[in-house]
Amino acid sequence: MKKEAQLFKSLADETRLKMLWLLMGREELCVCDIMGVLGTTQSKASRHLRYLYHLGWVTDRREGVWMNYRLSVAPGSPEDKQLKLLAEILSSRPEAQALRDRLEQWLAAKGQSKDGAAACQCS
Amino acid sequence: MRAEARFFKSLSDETRLKILWLLSGTEELCVCDVISVLGITQSKASRHLRHLYHLGWVTDRRDGLWMIYRLAVTPNSPKEKLLNLLEEILAPQPEAQALRGHLARCLEAKQHSQCARRLKSSQKRSPQGSPET
Repeated sequence: MKKEAQLFKSLADETRLKMLWLLMGREELCVCDIMGVLGTTQSKASRHLRYLYHLGWVTDRREGVWMNYRLSVAPGSPEDKQLKLLAEILSSRPEAQALRDRLEQWLAAKGQSKDGAAACQCS
Repeated sequence: MRAEARFFKSLSDETRLKILWLLSGTEELCVCDVISVLGITQSKASRHLRHLYHLGWVTDRRDGLWMIYRLAVTPNSPKEKLLNLLEEILAPQPEAQALRGHLARCLEAKQHSQCARRLKSSQKRSPQGSPET
């Protein structure tokens, strides 16, 4: 039952929980988006995203110097059910909604500064 | 969102996960049951049960020297939903079923022979209490 404990451990960290919440609201996110919205360092963001990657929660796609991540959870899998429960719990939390709003603002600002995903030079 | 992370952390440890799995299959459990079914020390069992207690998963009741725990999860709460999810994930797993089988045998053996709990309370009731040393 170690595997199941590990599955729940993915959501046992506040940063990872926020990342999954943000990823649930979008098709794909760049590491720089996560950094910008959560206000974390690149090293912290990448570390947690690699953790999620190795446990099969997300897939990655390289674009220039940045990595993009998207959820890769099979419908009906334990991971999928956990995400649904998480969404159910968080959807009524103002803090969680604020985080999604911040993501929208961030992405809008990024879209204006340059075009499309090429705008990832947000150091 | 720290509270939610802590919530999922309750199940992020294999021992706590097993304890919750056992508790959700029975009405209440003595610390001694957890010790014998999981094969862990009293200190480890009590530590995890207190952790669950402080997070509001279980309530406790003293019976002689032992503490008895039962789930204290309100219907339709996030905790109950998480337990339902755990049940759904673990129910098809032989390892998890074996654990519940082990618990059932353990509880039955306890009833037939000298129940640890009753033994303790009868010791407590006896006029010659052990001297404080």
